[in-house]
Amino acid sequence: MSKPIWPRIPSGFVRAVLAGHSALGLAFAALIYLVCFSGTVAVYANELHRWERPDVPVAGPASATVVQAAAAEALAVHGKAEHLFINLPTPDLPRLTIYVDKEKGEDPRVVAGADGHLIGPQGTAWTDFMARLHIDLHLPQTWGIFIVGLTGVTLLSSLISGLFAHPRVFRDAFHLRWGGSKRLQEADLHNRIGVWGLPFHVMISLTGAFLGLTTIIVGILALAVFKGDVNKAYELFLPPQPIDDPRPAPLPDIKTAFSHLPRMGADGPPTYVGLEHPGERGGAILIVAGPEGRLSRGDNYTFDAAGQPLSEQGIGSETVGAQIIQAVSQLHFGWFGGWAVKLAYAILGAGITIVTSSGVAIWLARRRAKGRPAPRWERIWIAAVWSQPIAYPLSALAALLAGAPPLAVWALATLAALATAAAFETERLSRVLPLTGGLLLVILPLAHALVWRGRVADPMAWFVETAILALGLGLLASVLVTSLAARPRLLAVQPAE
Amino acid sequence: MTGPGVALACALLLAAGLGAGWLLRTAWRRRDANRPLLMLAGWGVLIAASLAAAPVLGQARGPFIAFAVLPIAVLALIAAGVQIRDPRKRAPREAALEPSERASKTWRGWLRALLAGPIGGVAAMGVALAWTIWAPGPPQTRMVVGGLLVPVLWGGAMAWTLADDKILRATAVLAGVTVVTFTASILKGFS
Repeated sequence: MSKPIWPRIPSGFVRAVLAGHSALGLAFAALIYLVCFSGTVAVYANELHRWERPDVPVAGPASATVVQAAAAEALAVHGKAEHLFINLPTPDLPRLTIYVDKEKGEDPRVVAGADGHLIGPQGTAWTDFMARLHIDLHLPQTWGIFIVGLTGVTLLSSLISGLFAHPRVFRDAFHLRWGGSKRLQEADLHNRIGVWGLPFHVMISLTGAFLGLTTIIVGILALAVFKGDVNKAYELFLPPQPIDDPRPAPLPDIKTAFSHLPRMGADGPPTYVGLEHPGERGGAILIVAGPEGRLSRGDNYTFDAAGQPLSEQGIGSETVGAQIIQAVSQLHFGWFGGWAVKLAYAILGAGITIVTSSGVAIWLARRRAKGRPAPRWERIWIAAVWSQPIAYPLSALAALLAGAPPLAVWALATLAALATAAAFETERLSRVLPLTGGLLLVILPLAHALVWRGRVADPMAWFVETAILALGLGLLASVLVTSLAARPRLLAVQPAE
Repeated sequence: MTGPGVALACALLLAAGLGAGWLLRTAWRRRDANRPLLMLAGWGVLIAASLAAAPVLGQARGPFIAFAVLPIAVLALIAAGVQIRDPRKRAPREAALEPSERASKTWRGWLRALLAGPIGGVAAMGVALAWTIWAPGPPQTRMVVGGLLVPVLWGGAMAWTLADDKILRATAVLAGVTVVTFTASILKGFS
């Protein structure tokens, strides 16, 4: 027998790290699980956006004239705005959408056709709910983003301690033992996905923590080095801004601004146009442009209201720091390599969600094996894990069929799923909740197809429909297989009559 | 490279991952003289695939695509080799270690939570701040690298303080790091 390649780690050290790993994992398990689950779904935010509003035709690259027309109509319909945030059609989201940032009241989101004429409201309440759930948990924004960032730090910490708490990392490298000891089964699942997916897990937790903690990091850096002026810190990454001048003026000249882009070094089409104080003399235009197929979302170019450049070249790729900033969110959400990368992100995103779920399951199985079972916590954790595959499709279904607010439905469904922990025993919970989730996942695309029949203009809707249906059927099949496999066992323990 | 090209490159990465996984699994199963060679070959394929992704898929994004695709191939190989056990049979004795049992004094619990949370966070911020102020290079790069250091160091501090039984040592180190880094930052100021 050859010698092990991994240095022998003292068992006292491993046990201490394991204690810390367990404590942190248990304290943040529900939060990490929710953030990982919601993040996995958020990878497909653009596809779900298109599925939720499938009647918008697919549009190609938008010309300056089209963008100008869409901006003018958005302001004409919705009145004066502080900003207009215009996302131009891209291969991922081939439609022109406008966020109208009003000074007071609700901010309308609208969608325009390929000619720049407004089609109507964006109509993606569920996708917006789903994205915000991952970004700030629908809490007050600063706090919510910070809590999600902190969750990223705890996940990163768990990955570090998990690696040190795993002295058999090579010895068990390919073991996946299913059935028999519950603890061994969950530990194999937890360790194999955790270890082999480690580069991805570190990348996701680090970028997530960075995005979530940006406000506090910039705040502290600014407090210490810019006498508390946060804007000075942000100015390092942004092109120059115009001087504020509220006197009325025509809409900023997007067409002229577009014409300057090649000379300024833009090496790809514009993907985003931001109008600051449109209709004022101090208005400005921000354009993000860059080629497809890069990690960066593109460089930033600013112009005054007349469309004249405010700097000689784009900002975003001149330093390593600026390049990292441009890449972080793309890297976090997997929006940099088309459907193949998104699929990989979804699989490994589901993987880290399973790692979180199995971590708690190991702790519960360990307690049971030591003669100290915690049946109430076992039921609560099963209900918590399966609450999301129920709450997500149910909230989408309620939004689709009745226009119900997704957040309220999601919260009620999550609470209802958690309440089942008091009503059913462990075995039944493990069947009923996945079954409910599977059924909802099957009903949702069928209902969607029925509601939008004859009006689907974006073929992406059919792809999403099929994917959701396959997920639902897969879940139902897995419940069926598990139930059938458990049957002989259940029969075996029936008392003889 | 976009669309179908990326998908094709991902398929090649997947194939490389399967090949590397097979080599490593063979090394893991065999305990003979060829084991080191198989291991070297397996890790070699993984590293070569990650490096080759840069010129093919883009200097910056290529390796990240490899990090996302390669693990899936190995995990698929592991899933294919799943060992189904008979639940009626007695489970083998497990070799896994148990977490250590600690003295459960309330003040230690609170101090540990404070060290892992705010104190660790402030110490990490201190290092990031000192880095931003003292490191060479453009200010944007120093700020971003400093910002990335915060979650890494905070996460590391969290893992360490929750594991270290000598809690006062952890307190002293984190307090010391905070004082030294903030003092160093104040002394130089931003330029």
